Amino acid sequence: MIMSALMERRLRTSGTLIVLGLLVEALSLVRVHPLVFLGFMFVGGGFLIVGITIYLYSLVSVAEPPKA
Amino acid sequence: MQMLTVPGPTALLYVLIGVTIVLIATIVFRPSLTATRGGKQLAFIVYFLLPVVVASMGASEHMERSKQTQFCLSCHVMNPYGRSLHIDDPTYVPAAHFQNARIPRDEACYTCHTDYVMYGSILAKLRGLRHVYVQYLGTVPKIIQLYNPYNNRECLHCHASARSFEEGAVHSADPSIMASIKSNQLSCLTSGCHDQVHAVAHLSELKFWEPK
Repeated sequence: MIMSALMERRLRTSGTLIVLGLLVEALSLVRVHPLVFLGFMFVGGGFLIVGITIYLYSLVSVAEPPKA
Repeated sequence: MQMLTVPGPTALLYVLIGVTIVLIATIVFRPSLTATRGGKQLAFIVYFLLPVVVASMGASEHMERSKQTQFCLSCHVMNPYGRSLHIDDPTYVPAAHFQNARIPRDEACYTCHTDYVMYGSILAKLRGLRHVYVQYLGTVPKIIQLYNPYNNRECLHCHASARSFEEGAVHSADPSIMASIKSNQLSCLTSGCHDQVHAVAHLSELKFWEPK
């Protein structure tokens, strides 16, 4: 089964965004401060939501191969 | 005998984050892995399930951390309130509670300033978000006041049914007094009985307790 280039690109993009979100989350656990809490919620959470959404979208948007 | 140390939630979170990042990196560098059925299942776990679990655990950890005294006092404007917990005078209610460990010292602010009602914790967090906004983007008022008069419910959360409270000479002198306290008609703080609280305007005139 050959994977489309578009699917590969989406997997890379979403994977990169999710990793960025996870790194922000890991960093936010180092300190106890209200701004860190906001960073966790809005920056880390934002990366994760966008990354996961792109991944889920890539699953449902895979085009069916044309029937002969 | 050596004691077994159970890793805390933060350590577990770090491990989960590390494992998720490694697995995602594997798929990012070799996306062809997801061409197989097993690869697709792996991708769903590491791109969706694990990040959701990690984010939920992280949110829970941050919620717990936001109850800490250190968290509240990290804003400069709260420093005098933190200092008032060390006033060397037992008539000051917050100081007496803090110094005698009647409340958990590491959650001192939260213990008395959360509403003990359904969703009280969430309401406290939403107020906290507003406080951060005011601290960094708004104008901090010169005199910080409670949104609503302090409710006896917050005192009674611990004191109700305690012998010292229920059988206290003044509290039980007249049945109507106890009823008024429990229904919040007679305020514990502003009725003149326990009215010494943070006193931030007079801190310079007071002595302070230094923990040994």
